[in-house]
Amino acid sequence: MNRFMSRTSIILASLLTSVALADYAPDVEAWNIESAPPQATVVVRNATVWTAGEQQILEQADLLVRGGKIRAVGADLDAPGNALEIDGTGMHVTPGIIDAHSHAAIIGGVNEATDISTAQVRIEDVIDSESINIYRQLAGGVTAINLLHGSANAIGGQMAVIKMRWGANPEELLFQAATPGIKFALGENPKQSNWNNDDPRYPQSRPGVAQIIDEKFQQAADYQRALENMPEGRRGRNVVPPRPNLEMDAIVEILEGVRKIHSHAYRADEMVMLINIAESFGVTIGTFQHVLEGYKLARRMAEHGAAGSGFIDWWNFKHEASDAIPYNPALMAMGGVTVGLHSDNPELARRMNLEAAKAVRYGGVDQHDALIMITANPARQLGVGDRTGRIEEGLDADFVLWNGHPLSVYSRVEQTWVDGRRYFDYQADRARREALEAERRELMAMVLDEGEGGEEADESPAGEETPGGLIGYRASELAHDEFCHAQDFGFTHGGHVHAIDFRSGE
Amino acid sequence: MSTITRIANTLAMAAAAGAMLAGPGWVGTAVAQQSPTALVGATVHPVDGDPVENGIVLIEGRDIAAVGIGIEIPDDAEIIDVTGSHIYPGFVHPLSALGLTEISSVAGTVDNTEMGAINAALRVEVAFNHDSALLPVNIAGGILTTHTVPSGGLIRGTSAVMNMEGWSWEDMTIKAPAGMHINFPSGAAGDGENDDLKKIESVLDAAQDWHKAMQAFEAGSAPRPARNAQLEALVPLLEGEMPLFLYAGKEKEINAALDWAEGRQFERVILVGGPDLQYVAERLATEDIPVIFNGVYSMPTRRWEAYDMAYAAAGKLFEAGVKFAIGDGGGSFGATNARNLPFHAGSAAAFGLPKDAALKSVTLWPAEILGVDDHLGSLAAGKRASLIVTSGDPLEPMTQIQRVWIDGEEYDLGRSKHRQLFERYKGRIQAD
Repeated sequence: MNRFMSRTSIILASLLTSVALADYAPDVEAWNIESAPPQATVVVRNATVWTAGEQQILEQADLLVRGGKIRAVGADLDAPGNALEIDGTGMHVTPGIIDAHSHAAIIGGVNEATDISTAQVRIEDVIDSESINIYRQLAGGVTAINLLHGSANAIGGQMAVIKMRWGANPEELLFQAATPGIKFALGENPKQSNWNNDDPRYPQSRPGVAQIIDEKFQQAADYQRALENMPEGRRGRNVVPPRPNLEMDAIVEILEGVRKIHSHAYRADEMVMLINIAESFGVTIGTFQHVLEGYKLARRMAEHGAAGSGFIDWWNFKHEASDAIPYNPALMAMGGVTVGLHSDNPELARRMNLEAAKAVRYGGVDQHDALIMITANPARQLGVGDRTGRIEEGLDADFVLWNGHPLSVYSRVEQTWVDGRRYFDYQADRARREALEAERRELMAMVLDEGEGGEEADESPAGEETPGGLIGYRASELAHDEFCHAQDFGFTHGGHVHAIDFRSGE
Repeated sequence: MSTITRIANTLAMAAAAGAMLAGPGWVGTAVAQQSPTALVGATVHPVDGDPVENGIVLIEGRDIAAVGIGIEIPDDAEIIDVTGSHIYPGFVHPLSALGLTEISSVAGTVDNTEMGAINAALRVEVAFNHDSALLPVNIAGGILTTHTVPSGGLIRGTSAVMNMEGWSWEDMTIKAPAGMHINFPSGAAGDGENDDLKKIESVLDAAQDWHKAMQAFEAGSAPRPARNAQLEALVPLLEGEMPLFLYAGKEKEINAALDWAEGRQFERVILVGGPDLQYVAERLATEDIPVIFNGVYSMPTRRWEAYDMAYAAAGKLFEAGVKFAIGDGGGSFGATNARNLPFHAGSAAAFGLPKDAALKSVTLWPAEILGVDDHLGSLAAGKRASLIVTSGDPLEPMTQIQRVWIDGEEYDLGRSKHRQLFERYKGRIQAD
């Protein structure tokens, strides 16, 4: 049966029984799909292909995809007879965008803001696979995101990297190849600077944050030693093993190098501090997140091996963001750092190509290098650089078709593919919304025939309204790191001055 | 033609250089009589007309003396060759907190909101910090004029159109008061008994009464009414001497706000709203209500709406014939990145708004809506010479803003803290 018709009859039945039109709940599942799109054999012909790899930008090139992998890229490729042919004339192909800092699909618990270290908690336990953000970000060309804890505590918890396999369950979303990681945080947030605090906990200063991280590493090293010193076999029977400790287990993984630190950090001093402590335990940091003053220690970061994942131009929203400059990515790259750009915001995540474009504006980063900052480099930072982030034979078929230059403000995404499956198609999206609109009109007509007033038809009670004027959203879809910046995603609506703003004035 | 112009320019340049060397007036004068400046060689985008290749912008004093081709350059003019570049008018930010705020999380630096519901007598220009670090940074992004507004509460006070550059707020004020700001309470849609709306109405009624009492006093038929700052401040609004900036978010609220404003017979209403404005586009066009549209970059209002609902909104307003300016939502956080305003307009152009309309929506149209288009918003003789020289289309984030003139004088972009830190640390990174 046609799925729209079947849904129509279900909604209609409920409408006619509950009757009141005010109860009409628009179909919030409009963008859902019932099963994963097929893994296609597809060839894109005659496009401009931005490889984000050694081949740079290929003009009038073809891309061949089969079995979820990129099989070939180059001129005049032979394709199997059954391959879906896409005419890429005038279009650009890029790798899928990878957002290394997101909270866009987390059901509660972005911050486990209790103890100063909550290394034991895991994002993979609270992934919201139904977050509309997944679909909307696919529409912006995003194919993988790193779901991170917030920044309330020095050691926040274990992250989860997912692929944007819209419609899949949380387990299927997980990008298993990603290197395990853990969120750290430094500065104003873990020291609880920006909110009223009736019940403060230690620490309240940057030296305190440094001290507690050092101490946690010491404890973990002791715990690790105790585990290693457990005698084998019969001799172990008379020795009490250390009490299992999930927090210490996670920190031991850091010390062993199997779990990478991704640390929220703004100021240069605190980044030097974390490098200093990490090196004293033989640990190499994965990334500094936000990394606002990364340009002040670019050489030190490169020498240590820490990558930088930042905003392009957020600044001065907190005191510790005073010296944030949009030239940061250009300068860090100049200093030898692997630089990525991230969103930290489900709305911004839909247009990361324009954040990369700003790296061209500020400091003159080469256009292809700027694209690498939202594709190949974040992939490397998450340990999946050999799986995704570039258009290259053998890599996952995670790619985007743009209707113009991918860094141009006038371009938009035509199609987004993940694992060789077309999860977003602009034309299909338009067809779906037209079908939805037709269905809606049909329902309205039927209900109005029943004699119920139609005045309130536009506003449905289907969901809570946020102070910023957003309606029907799941809490997880608006989730953010409330300790990082008091965002309100309705900020632009009307004049309800909820600006991404600490002082909404209301 | 272009060769002839070039020769003429070269001759004029030589003449100007000679004049500078020879003219006794130039030596040792602290405040010399400013000679005209001619920007030559660029593609000039006047905004209210077609772009002109190899055009000239002639600046005399504060203002533009002439724009176009075949313009006679005075002998004493300084000729600046910007061949290969593009010249546009500076962007006019239609609604921001610039000048009133520094760091949004540090209360001591935030002055764009006040406590209380009724603040009609607030004037924001008096707190405009001419040395805010945000100003040079945003000038470097091409924002040369800001409409700075009060926020918070119901009747919020008066706003001001401000120059982004100057030595004190008095010098920098282009127009104040620019309008009265009233937030239409979201609960008032469909509820005539809404407490907040009643509060607004009772204050407006009292202001009307106060005004009548004052008129009676002036006519000599009654004693002088006691001064009342809040009520007095509302008289120019009631008399139609200043426009009303009316804030409403969702479709239902916008309609209710328009009904209400119609009922109260405000002379000139400018609606400030979000992406839902598109659903009221026909009405806005019919009733000739200009709008400030915040929120190209915002989540669709309703979860079930199309992903591009907010991107496409400006295009829908344009199609319907609504006069609009594109804003960024303002606020303290927003003020730091007011420089991104042109990109909001560019993104709207990716989803249905014609490119030339996108450019107007952040230059000429905000100037018109704010009533400063005799000074700003396009490159035309008689308007202020506040312009940007760019490497290309300024709605593209990749484009670089190379030079800036404000009120006829070149602005030192090196004053941007961001450029200073860039230069300083670039030197350090390269030195190692």
